[in-house]
Amino acid sequence: MKFGKLILRNLFRNKLRTFLTLVLMAAIFFFVATLLSILANFETASNSGAGQNRLCVQSAISLANPLPLAHEQEIREIEGVVDVAKLQWFGAYYKEPNNFFANFAVDHDKMTSVWNDYAIPKDQLEAYMADRTGAIVGPELVKRWGWKIGDRVTLTSTIYPFNPTLTIRGVYKHSFDTSSFFFHFDYFHEATKEMTGSTVGTFWARVKNSQDMSRISGEIDAKFKNSQYPTETFTEKEFQQQFMAMIGNIKLLFTTVSICAILMVVLLAAITMSMAARERVTEIAVLKAIGFSRGTILTLMLIEFVTLGLFGGALGTFGAKAVHASVNMTEITQGFLVGFGVNTETVLTCLIAAIVVGFLAGGLPAVRSAQLSVVDGLRKVW
Amino acid sequence: MSALVEIRNVHKVYKRDSFDVPVLNGVSVSVPRGDFLALMGPSGSGKTTLLNLIAGIDRPTKGQVIVDGKEISAFNETRLATWRAAHVGFIFQMYNLIPVLNAFENVELPLLLTHLKKRERREHVHAALSIVGLPDRMSHYPRQLSGGQEQRVAIARAIATDPTILVADEPTGDLDAKSAHEILDLLQMLNAEHQKTIIMVTHDPKAADRARHVLHLDKGVLVESGEDARAMAGDAER
Repeated sequence: MKFGKLILRNLFRNKLRTFLTLVLMAAIFFFVATLLSILANFETASNSGAGQNRLCVQSAISLANPLPLAHEQEIREIEGVVDVAKLQWFGAYYKEPNNFFANFAVDHDKMTSVWNDYAIPKDQLEAYMADRTGAIVGPELVKRWGWKIGDRVTLTSTIYPFNPTLTIRGVYKHSFDTSSFFFHFDYFHEATKEMTGSTVGTFWARVKNSQDMSRISGEIDAKFKNSQYPTETFTEKEFQQQFMAMIGNIKLLFTTVSICAILMVVLLAAITMSMAARERVTEIAVLKAIGFSRGTILTLMLIEFVTLGLFGGALGTFGAKAVHASVNMTEITQGFLVGFGVNTETVLTCLIAAIVVGFLAGGLPAVRSAQLSVVDGLRKVW
Repeated sequence: MSALVEIRNVHKVYKRDSFDVPVLNGVSVSVPRGDFLALMGPSGSGKTTLLNLIAGIDRPTKGQVIVDGKEISAFNETRLATWRAAHVGFIFQMYNLIPVLNAFENVELPLLLTHLKKRERREHVHAALSIVGLPDRMSHYPRQLSGGQEQRVAIARAIATDPTILVADEPTGDLDAKSAHEILDLLQMLNAEHQKTIIMVTHDPKAADRARHVLHLDKGVLVESGEDARAMAGDAER
């Protein structure tokens, strides 16, 4: 492009101002890329159950209300259900209250039938099954606490008067969940029977065909509709989404904060770009005098401002990608963000937003420059 | 010599807030092709406005401006810009080179608006800078040049596209006597050897002496009763 040199030279004519504008845009796009990545991470988490032939049965009143253990057999009797397992949220921490992670009491013998997406070496699974105080843990927890198989760890529950000391018998592998802690429901039930009675938080049913999930969930809920403990059955994806919704409307919050941050950068960049255009009034008048049309001036200035926006945005976005790729966010967030990173979709979103920022911020000064009367501009020159 | 520029009964009124400020009041001038015309007059006399009208960067409130047979006063903004790129070379008092571009790139600027290939543009720039005597300063930035050299580069930029007419407003106004002398020599040479039609606004009688003709303006009208004014105004009226 024959005007490339002129655009590039103008872009860097005031190096300090360009540098500061780039730093500002990079910082804000780093922030926005991080927020959008957290949102994307939540989305991935809520979609992690998709494709699994698993249904979650919880109380129709709320997730906090337990269901009687007797429901298990009735669920199993429904046609198409392969197996059913109990799962109880334990809500414990390790050593310190801020050492929090997901921990559950589950039917230990259902790991291969209901949670068969969790891969556990055969010898480790056998050791876990054989030990009532055994536990299976995610690789991230092992890495975080330096645990190894055979270690005994004590969990302190924030819900139940039961602080079990459990032996790590196995480390599972899973495509997304890398930081959960599972131990025997029998052991939990025996220790908390007086408090919990014959109840459990949720049942998880594996069904034979995914096409039957809708029918089966309807049948389960119909079966208990008029009982003292009505149920609400979800697919695993729906359950995860419901769980994410419980955190609050994070998506709306993060999106709002991101938009505010982008608007802020638009305003700040607009000030900078207006200054850049204003100090070039006479030059623009000279360019117009020698034959540069309004359209050419407008195009040149918009390309300059959009390039600045895109460069700043790219710096921040790829900076965020590099930083998040090099630090262990799972460890920093104590397992809250698993598999965190800036994905391609977020990168593209940020780059498009950066182009829009360049257009919005540079649009007005560019239009004003293009519309500048040659005579008015040259009045300072002639 | 045939008339290149014809100004016919031109009026120009500027709006300043709610006031009308008349600047030119029925000026008629004819400038022959190949002329070197100096426009003189006190500040506010309308000489720069007349130059702007001839150069196509302003339009008259009333009257006609005809350059090389075309009534440019009837052109719209876009057509005027295209016309200026092809037909007018500008020389400013303060040189007004683009500070981020070197001498070569400044001279190349108007050529970027043409369909010339890179090699052809380079040839034009070399030729223009050679004419003004600065073939060895191509890679110098404006800040690395003296005032006289900057004005030479500005003249090279003005002639790079081989325009029909050169307009200059106080081209020596910011220069020392020696540099001013050299610039006037250069303008005379462009007029005499390259047959460039030059219209120059100046306060300096020494500069005006270098022109073939001199016109005086005062309060928006031609006031000189000398040969030049009578002849040129008469030509325009005919």
